[in-house]
Amino acid sequence: MTELHKTSPSVTNGQALLHILKLWGRQAPRLVIGIMLALLALCMALVLMQLSGLRLAGTVLGEVVIATALLRWVGAGRVVLRYAERLFAHDAMFRALADLRVWFFRSLAHGAAAGLGFRRAGDMLSRLVTDIGTLDGLYLRILVPFTCACLTLPILLIQLCKQSIVLGASIGVLFACTAFFLPYLIARSGRQEAEQLTKNLASLRINVLDLVGGLREIRAFGAEGRILARVQAADATLLRGQMRLARKAAFANATAFLSGQIAIFLILLAVSGVWFFKVTPIAGVGVLFLTVAAFESAATLTRAGLQAGAMGASAKRVVEIAQDTRLTSSATPTVEAPEDTHIHVQNLAFRWSVDRPYVFSDLTLDIPAGARVALLGPSGVGKSSLAALMLKAATPEAGTITLGGIPLSDIRTESLRQKMAWLSQATHLFDDTIRANLLLGQPDATEDQLWQALDDAAVANVVKNLPEGLDTWLGEGGIKLSGGQGRRIALARTLLTQAPILILDEPATGLDAQTEQEFLQTLNTVADGRTVILIAHRLTGVERLDRIYRLSNGIATAATA
Amino acid sequence: MSGEKVAIRGWTRTQSRLGRRAARPVVVFNILSSMMGVGQAWCIASILGYALTDLHATVASHSISLVVPLVGFLLLALLRAGMMALGDTASAKAGIDARRQLRGSVLASILTGGPALLRQSHSGALTNTAVDRVEALDGFFGRWIPASITWIISPLLILLPVCIVQPRSGLVLALCGLSVPFGQALFGIGAAVASRNQFLAMTRLQARFLDRVKGIATIVLAGRTEDETQRLAQAADELRQRTMKVLRVAFLSSASIDCAMVVALILVAVLNGRIALALHPDGSGEQLSHTLTCGLFVLLVIPEFFAPLRALALAYQDRAHAQGAATAILELPVAQQTSTPKEARTVNAHGVTISFDDVSFTWDATRGPALQNITFTVPAQETLILAGTSGSGKSTIMELLLGFIQPDSGKILFNGAPLETIVPDALSKMISWIGQKPVLFAGSLKENILFANPDADDVALMAAVKAAAVDQFLPDLPHGLETYLGEGGFGLSGGQAQRIAIARAYLKNAPVLLLDEPTAHLDPATEKSVFESLQRLALNKTVVLATHSAAVHMFNGRRIDLQNGQIVSRQGAA
Repeated sequence: MTELHKTSPSVTNGQALLHILKLWGRQAPRLVIGIMLALLALCMALVLMQLSGLRLAGTVLGEVVIATALLRWVGAGRVVLRYAERLFAHDAMFRALADLRVWFFRSLAHGAAAGLGFRRAGDMLSRLVTDIGTLDGLYLRILVPFTCACLTLPILLIQLCKQSIVLGASIGVLFACTAFFLPYLIARSGRQEAEQLTKNLASLRINVLDLVGGLREIRAFGAEGRILARVQAADATLLRGQMRLARKAAFANATAFLSGQIAIFLILLAVSGVWFFKVTPIAGVGVLFLTVAAFESAATLTRAGLQAGAMGASAKRVVEIAQDTRLTSSATPTVEAPEDTHIHVQNLAFRWSVDRPYVFSDLTLDIPAGARVALLGPSGVGKSSLAALMLKAATPEAGTITLGGIPLSDIRTESLRQKMAWLSQATHLFDDTIRANLLLGQPDATEDQLWQALDDAAVANVVKNLPEGLDTWLGEGGIKLSGGQGRRIALARTLLTQAPILILDEPATGLDAQTEQEFLQTLNTVADGRTVILIAHRLTGVERLDRIYRLSNGIATAATA
Repeated sequence: MSGEKVAIRGWTRTQSRLGRRAARPVVVFNILSSMMGVGQAWCIASILGYALTDLHATVASHSISLVVPLVGFLLLALLRAGMMALGDTASAKAGIDARRQLRGSVLASILTGGPALLRQSHSGALTNTAVDRVEALDGFFGRWIPASITWIISPLLILLPVCIVQPRSGLVLALCGLSVPFGQALFGIGAAVASRNQFLAMTRLQARFLDRVKGIATIVLAGRTEDETQRLAQAADELRQRTMKVLRVAFLSSASIDCAMVVALILVAVLNGRIALALHPDGSGEQLSHTLTCGLFVLLVIPEFFAPLRALALAYQDRAHAQGAATAILELPVAQQTSTPKEARTVNAHGVTISFDDVSFTWDATRGPALQNITFTVPAQETLILAGTSGSGKSTIMELLLGFIQPDSGKILFNGAPLETIVPDALSKMISWIGQKPVLFAGSLKENILFANPDADDVALMAAVKAAAVDQFLPDLPHGLETYLGEGGFGLSGGQAQRIAIARAYLKNAPVLLLDEPTAHLDPATEKSVFESLQRLALNKTVVLATHSAAVHMFNGRRIDLQNGQIVSRQGAA
């Protein structure tokens, strides 16, 4: 994992944003319609402002230029369109975000068979929730207003140039500054700060998760004050950054406002005839109202400019996950797992990363179909690594593993994993009911099968005595049960699967000596016909085994069963 | 339920009171900015009025009289930009200060609740409260509270000149303005409910995702990725629907304001048009100019009039967030900064005798008691072994000793002093605890050991590292003591993690040592060497060791056997 992190090519923020836009493809029609509605609403707003100004100004000539009915119609249109546009655009956006969240989880799952590695769950959560949440601004605050500004500029230019080319040109430049140049400048100057902000938020979240997860340690060591200080330091960093950004935003807002005011001032000059570009007052009034409305919508882009940096950073953090995982699966193998479950490991070399020592240097072992094999050795010798390699949760550096004669690298991963059920040291109990946790092993298991599995795992009596039985909520990491009981639930889940190969990594952990013996005896019978790979540090003598391998110094030596 | 609502309202009210003080500068700047907007409107109106009638009356240039409003407009614009910037900054500051304070108190509450809190809530939900809920309150302090003051003051202040200039338009504006609060009240109720539901959906999504990510390997290897992805999709979609409900109400309420504004615009435009038309035939330029200027002024000031109302509607979600946050925050225990009980005492640190006197404890009434009438004594510097199957109550005794939970009945005594009268700080100084799986924090290996005693010098640190045999696996780590430990300690085996816990205990050197199945996940060889380290650590300490390991004979001392929360046999003078 470490290695992957170091070599993964870094994506620029721009590329990341483009990637995100591509991922939104499914919602493209909705998103486009949202923009169209926004444009229509904008036109209505511009027309309304111009009309109501003209209506009043026109009376000077002794005529009502604009009919009241028209005004009313445009007014109602504006209100309705604005409502429809916002509703539609937001809905489209949130659909796209939901898609993105699903995509993110899938990408994460794709490369996470060996666990999260150095990636922290809190950080992943931050990316899924906050970072993806920030991306709504990409569409709502940048794309939509930008398109609107692109439409406003020519309208404004045409209307103004009809009166005076010089006036039109100068206000056009001002508008372009407010809507495009200023946001660009702000985005550039605030980018680093905004990127830092997302990182700071993630770091605060990790610190808080540490505090919550480590409550026992903290209480036992009386470290409340220290941990609190640490979290508050992370908090203070975040808040300081936010304040700096807020100052920048305030400055940007004021600048955008001022440039709008200058535009109005120019028109006033023109109307009053002080300046060389003289404009007829009537037309001046219409143009003035139009300009006010146009600059109002442009100002939102200035604010968005500041968020653009944050969005780029967020997009990068989201896309990175997929970049990481793409490397692990260069070519997708298509061969289905064979019926034959003979496993053969030949001259295998493996280490978790280049800066760590070899787990296996030259490992060779043979596990016939339906055999019961024990892999023995002290902890840290690589028993669990071997299981990870068999499940393609890790890739060997050299050597091969074959299943029924076919190299694992050629077998479709999902199909391979259907053949094997792994009870690992880190098997996770979900914050759900016992039933839901068991059904993860086999979704269509019957009630009887569930109880049978629980019975085999020597935990049926415990579950029976729970008032809610199978529907008891396990709590986070199975906190509602004792450690040993939780472990046995996980074991029952593994036994429930129909996989022909069972890899049991220290299945008896958390059992007392007597229960352990009983369990191992049960295992002799329940797993009949299946290959059982028992990973253990010692044997109790009751196991019925066909082969025993001892692992040490990166190689396996066969011992007699 | 209604009691809860009252509590939520009370909380929101208290926060509003606190927030209002901080919001004062924001309010002042916003009102001043509004006033300048009115001034600007007057400048524009006078220029346009002049220009329009000028054209009509064909009198010679009035340019000079236009200089004052032109310069005035520019000056006011500059001032207003300054006010806006100051207002924005003040609003950000109010939000930041309030969040800093609130987050601190939420974290203090979580720490007060301690490990017992994790039995009720998912750590994802707690994190969500401390991070996101508090973060979402930014708008409540920075926007909602100032807006809830300005929305009355600013429009009234604007209405004043309008009424003087054109009473009839003033009436129109006032009526349109009055319709807004009614609309807001109507939508507000819906918004609050919808927003609470939205935050619930958000919390659910977060807790679910955190749990699934922690167990992602289990999901992938069980071939259930697609199912879980689909469930996540459902949760994400539920979030979207809930969010849309919130937004629909928010948009409706702002549409109602838009509506009121458009009606006001049209009415004022039509009204003034009529007056001007009526005046027109008279040809009295002076009066026409005045009417026009006033009409234009009112027209221009309408957006200013509605701006604070609109700001209030936009901030309405922020208020709903505050209510959502209140619900989560009120669920937490009240933070105790200095919870020193009466007759608080510390216990002589040299040699601690621990005794349980008829202690009973129940986690969950429906599942029966976890401990029943437990009585035992461990004399100072001796060892007590708690034996029994998983779930027999060993861990519950440990949690009681650690003070994480309090007995339902009976007493726990440290040197004769009841546990509840001992200052928590003094208690934690007295006890070292090693559980089944130590939590490793984000940080280097060294930081993780120093967690036990950050003031320890390098000599003490290296001594602890050696005593706990951490130095044996240091060469295998890429950066030695500076190696960064990821979630759950990536790359460290169970035995290695446990050695870090032992090093912590060495560094702390407390007179009482609680060992809760410290070797549950270790193989016999590792277990033996861990036990050897523990034996050295246990020297001259009062030790309570919960285990069902066969290697327990390495420790000699009293022993009690537990079954279903009861003592079934004793060895030694326990």
